[in-house]
Amino acid sequence: MTKSKAQMIPPDAYPQMLDADEVGRFSEKLRCAATEAKAAAVIEKNAAGLREAVLAYAEALERAGDIAAISAAAHEIKGFADTAGLPATARIAEGLCRYLEDSETHAVPPDAALVALYVRALGRSARDSGRETRTSSTVAEELAALAARKLQDAAKSA
Amino acid sequence: MSAAAFETLKALIVEDNAHMRMLLRELLGAAGIRDIFEAPNGAAAIALLRERKCDLVLCDLAMEPMDGIALTRHLRTHENSPNPFVPIIMVSGHTGKQRVEEARDAGVTEFLAKPVTARNLYARIAGIVERPRAFVRAETYFGPDRRRKVIESYAGPWRRHDDFKDIGVK
Repeated sequence: MTKSKAQMIPPDAYPQMLDADEVGRFSEKLRCAATEAKAAAVIEKNAAGLREAVLAYAEALERAGDIAAISAAAHEIKGFADTAGLPATARIAEGLCRYLEDSETHAVPPDAALVALYVRALGRSARDSGRETRTSSTVAEELAALAARKLQDAAKSA
Repeated sequence: MSAAAFETLKALIVEDNAHMRMLLRELLGAAGIRDIFEAPNGAAAIALLRERKCDLVLCDLAMEPMDGIALTRHLRTHENSPNPFVPIIMVSGHTGKQRVEEARDAGVTEFLAKPVTARNLYARIAGIVERPRAFVRAETYFGPDRRRKVIESYAGPWRRHDDFKDIGVK
């Protein structure tokens, strides 16, 4: 049986957010220096609230009872930490997310000791709010290297 | 002086974290969008959209009891959807290939990876208004055309794998 063909609906056949003659004005507003300055102030103003959120997710991470809950909290921290002004925390969380995703891709159970190290490092880094040190960056790098080695070892023994 | 048309746009933010909702609300406000509604999950968003018309939806992916993927599918395909064509920007820290593809296949218009930056958010919105995409209605999909790549040198009508099966080419 032949599948029916897809129907294409061009942009002029459905309602748009703005009329064509308004698009230019809005585009200009989105890109102007005044909007950029206001947005920078908004990010700065909200950083403290976002740090609270990172801390709450770090606590959820420490309480998490399984990999799914750990992964969920780690992804939230990864998404929030950089905007909260915690770039090293974001890097550690990104490392954990990548390790869990790679483990899933390669059908290898995540190493419990390494995950526990990540969880501890994230808790410490999140609580070190606003005083991120070179140590946090080093921890992010070392954990990422350890994660890569664990995945390599698992691939070799498979 | 009368307000610019974009200042009358209505946006809905669907996000379970109140701090992130506030950030997104204020970033939209900085760009001149004043009418902004909020919902903490997909189910609350659907209830709100029954009462309010919105021109733009920003939604998180991971939420309970209804996540952003289910919300997108509902908005695109449910018979009682208030606006199946509404632009949806999924804003998420879940940026693995599988989740992004799930979002695309549910019918999101744009995907914005957290961490959110003003520049990236505004670029997604600008893309939606400046280069609106055709919609596709197929047996298993309704949403913005998922093909982004235009092959300039190709002028033929056949672009899908199934097209070749249909005309008997192996």
